[in-house]
Amino acid sequence: MTHPAKTPNALLHGALDALILKTLTRGPSHGYAIARFIEDTTGDAVLIEDGSLYPALYRLERKGLVEAEWGTSDLGRRAKLYRLTAEGRKQLTAEMVTWRKFAAGVSKVFAT
Amino acid sequence: MKRSLRSWLWRIPNDREFDEEIELHIEMRTRELVEQGVEPRTAREMAIAKMGDLAAFKATCVGLAKQRDRETSMALWLEELRDDVKFAIRQLANAPAFTVIATITLALGIGANSAIFALVDAALLRPLPYAEPRQLVTIWETSTTTPRGFASPPNMLDWAARSRTFDTIAGYTPSMGSMVMSGRDGNAQTVSRQWVTRGIFDVLGVAPIAGRTFTVEDEQQRRRSVVISEGLWQTRFDRNPAVVGSELRLDGELWTVVGVMPRGFEILGRTSMWAMRPFPPNMPPRARASYQLQVVGRMKPGVSISAAQADLAAVAEGLSREYPEFNKGRTVTLERLHDTLIGSDLKTTSMLFLGVVAFVLLICCANVANLLLARATARSRELAVRSALGAGRRRIIRQLLTESIVLSMLGGAFGIAIGAAILQVAPVLIPEGLLPATVTLAFDLRIVAFCAVTALLVGVVFGIAPAFQATAVAPTEAMGADSRTTTGSGGTLRSLLVVGEVATAVLLLFGAGLLLRTLIAVQSYDRGYGATNVLTMLVDPLGSAYPPPFKQQQFYDQVEAEVRAIPGVADVGWSSGLPLGESVFGEYLFNYEVVGDAPLDPARIPTTGYQIVSPSYFSTLELPIVAGRNFDARDAMGSPRVLIVNEAFARSLAPRNPIGVQVSVKPVDSPNEKPVTLEIIGVARQVKRRPDEAFDYVQIYTPLLQDPIGDINLLIKPNSGSAAALAPAVRAAISRIDKDQLVSVSNITTLEDVEWSATGRHRFRAVMVASFAALAVMLAMVGVFGILAYSVQQRMKDFGVRRALGATTQDVLRLVVTSAARVVAIGAVLGLIVSAVLGRFITSMLFGVQPLDFATFAAVILVLAVTATISILGPAWRAAKIDPAAVLRGK
Repeated sequence: MTHPAKTPNALLHGALDALILKTLTRGPSHGYAIARFIEDTTGDAVLIEDGSLYPALYRLERKGLVEAEWGTSDLGRRAKLYRLTAEGRKQLTAEMVTWRKFAAGVSKVFAT
Repeated sequence: MKRSLRSWLWRIPNDREFDEEIELHIEMRTRELVEQGVEPRTAREMAIAKMGDLAAFKATCVGLAKQRDRETSMALWLEELRDDVKFAIRQLANAPAFTVIATITLALGIGANSAIFALVDAALLRPLPYAEPRQLVTIWETSTTTPRGFASPPNMLDWAARSRTFDTIAGYTPSMGSMVMSGRDGNAQTVSRQWVTRGIFDVLGVAPIAGRTFTVEDEQQRRRSVVISEGLWQTRFDRNPAVVGSELRLDGELWTVVGVMPRGFEILGRTSMWAMRPFPPNMPPRARASYQLQVVGRMKPGVSISAAQADLAAVAEGLSREYPEFNKGRTVTLERLHDTLIGSDLKTTSMLFLGVVAFVLLICCANVANLLLARATARSRELAVRSALGAGRRRIIRQLLTESIVLSMLGGAFGIAIGAAILQVAPVLIPEGLLPATVTLAFDLRIVAFCAVTALLVGVVFGIAPAFQATAVAPTEAMGADSRTTTGSGGTLRSLLVVGEVATAVLLLFGAGLLLRTLIAVQSYDRGYGATNVLTMLVDPLGSAYPPPFKQQQFYDQVEAEVRAIPGVADVGWSSGLPLGESVFGEYLFNYEVVGDAPLDPARIPTTGYQIVSPSYFSTLELPIVAGRNFDARDAMGSPRVLIVNEAFARSLAPRNPIGVQVSVKPVDSPNEKPVTLEIIGVARQVKRRPDEAFDYVQIYTPLLQDPIGDINLLIKPNSGSAAALAPAVRAAISRIDKDQLVSVSNITTLEDVEWSATGRHRFRAVMVASFAALAVMLAMVGVFGILAYSVQQRMKDFGVRRALGATTQDVLRLVVTSAARVVAIGAVLGLIVSAVLGRFITSMLFGVQPLDFATFAAVILVLAVTATISILGPAWRAAKIDPAAVLRGK
């Protein structure tokens, strides 16, 4: 993860990962639920293609930040549920600290 | 980890899993849109559109999933392995007696194999320490009578000039000589020296560590130049770089040291220096008949040995047309330098040992497998429980195999220690001259790697049968049954293993027996002379200080008189060679013809060995003159030349009386020398030149007075007591005569020791194989003891019942002994059959005994019977002492 300069896309990647992790703190969810939650809470401020969610989820799973298991959705359908791991929780905390610092810094600049 | 593990176990194909996940997503999005009032078909299209480039996402996801699966399965495997190893260690720790016995058994087997592998590796596997050693070949000059002959210098130069397949060609003299080096401190020292031609170092591709090698100018200007070894540079010159370019006085002449060769270069022979023998292109034609060089060539890169052979044969063909009087019928044979240096004796000995230790290792494996089988029977309940709890058969076999591999690794670790220990003492056992100078035994990473691989293989070999055996029983059966009655096919397998062990031990015993008989044969042959308690030393007076013949002879006479005056000295003699030992000439043969007989076809002229002796040589050695007379004062310089022949020589003259016959002799390697005519005055008793020679060696003796030489062996026989104890007094006597210290004295030894080292190879083989055979018999008998003790324990109840029903102690004993005897007997018969078949493979190492030797067969049976009886005693005793009442009560 050592990009020399963060392109908007890469920035979005990182942000998307963080958003997924944050969503999962509310409990195990399947892909669609995660997408809906991000849409609802950001108020469409973050626009993502539904499909791009999945590579992010698979990547997080491979890194051991989330775990996947086939279970039953709230509607009684067989669904692949993602769950935050302890490792993922740690990562999320770290990202949120970084993000807050970044946001605070940017806000200060904007406030001048 | 656990969850991803389960998804891995489910093994839903990754692409199907992705499709299902996405389908759910699309359906839910569609439902949401429909709820918002969108027409269903349009809703689904919108949902799909919102997904984006699905094909690309799918490819990414499936790729990621595959990677994850690979990592997971690897992690899972490692985790299981770690668990298995932990479990295995716990199991082994819980059975310390079993673990210790199995480890020792395996360590012995692997240790013996690693030590022998070190020998084989050093001798046969490692490349020579030269640049591109595969391109190096020995070039033999061959004729109809000598298939591997030395080359004459002009022929060598022509090969080099005319061949197209060689980079360079050079030569060296095969026998080592020595030179007396007079030091600045006044101490003369004998230094071993090998003659080489200018290009030898270029051919071998070894660079000097100081100075340079020989140049064309050195050769053209016939400069006396030497290259010294790193060893000599160190011990004599303290690695002083100023030695390079300085002059040394060698045999009274000044020689320039041009360079120093690194240690480990002493390949073509152990020597301290290489002196250049110049061979300019304009040698006289008769030099073509002087066959004195062993020639090495470096083939051009990519040239095969057959191409080089064809090329050089064509060159030799041309030379034989140009110089028919010398080269007619002479051609060349190429051989890899590695093969020349290693020699067939070392090769066969290494292969013999390797075969022997491999058999020992097999016996070790069989023993440990036996122990494991016994353990598996005892553990069948535990295994059944695990199987009932859901462990699959594969999983249990894997666990049991892990256990045996952990065990074999433990054995391997101790085996490395045993191997290292064997290699520590090995150099003492290895006879001098068996290993060429190139070969040094080293215990390094290669040997450790060998141990590790062997241990792994061994673990699988001895573990696999017990593992399958142990898991073959149905769990219900094993759990329900009284474990003491579960024998079945396990018992048969164990008996078969022991039969194999006994057969193998018999084979090794038989081999050892044949080699021991050979050793006895070579040690108890008729040497021909009486005295062995004789001190010998090589005396080398400096030529310029004691010029031959008169000054030199005067010196010898004075030394002889001085030594005779030492109290306890019975006799003193001089000789150029020692029986069974080295001659100062090396391998030096003469052609001889009887004066007055019709000239013989040049190819059929007989050859004879040649030895120069003083008259007292015969009395010192107690070597009888069987006809005619000994040399005496009449046979001096200027009087008619005389010689004494040995019995084989005399027989070659039969039916005429050898005494008075005139023979003309000349050295084999310089046929153009003028022959010398001598008259036979006596016949000496036949003396063996080698302990295992197949034909009587033809030999002549000439008197020292008529045939002066500069280095000679002094032989001293004591009245009584040890000959070696006289050495200091003799050395002191020599220095009293040689006040200026211009004489070098070396090779101080006794004839007993010379004889001992002459039979060294036979002793080495016999001792090694006998030791391994003893180990094999011991292990096999441990195996016999093992199954017998086990079966007695199993059949306690049976025996008890029999006793209660009236069987006598003898009846029970008969049962036990018969079952053991059957196993041993079948093994013995099998072993003897295999021995009879394999015996011919060691014929080349035998002397005085046939491969199907009856006495050896008998001895093997005897050894086996005795050791088997010992191993049977314990279990039989236990069976005989059974108290039927106690057994029947249940315990």
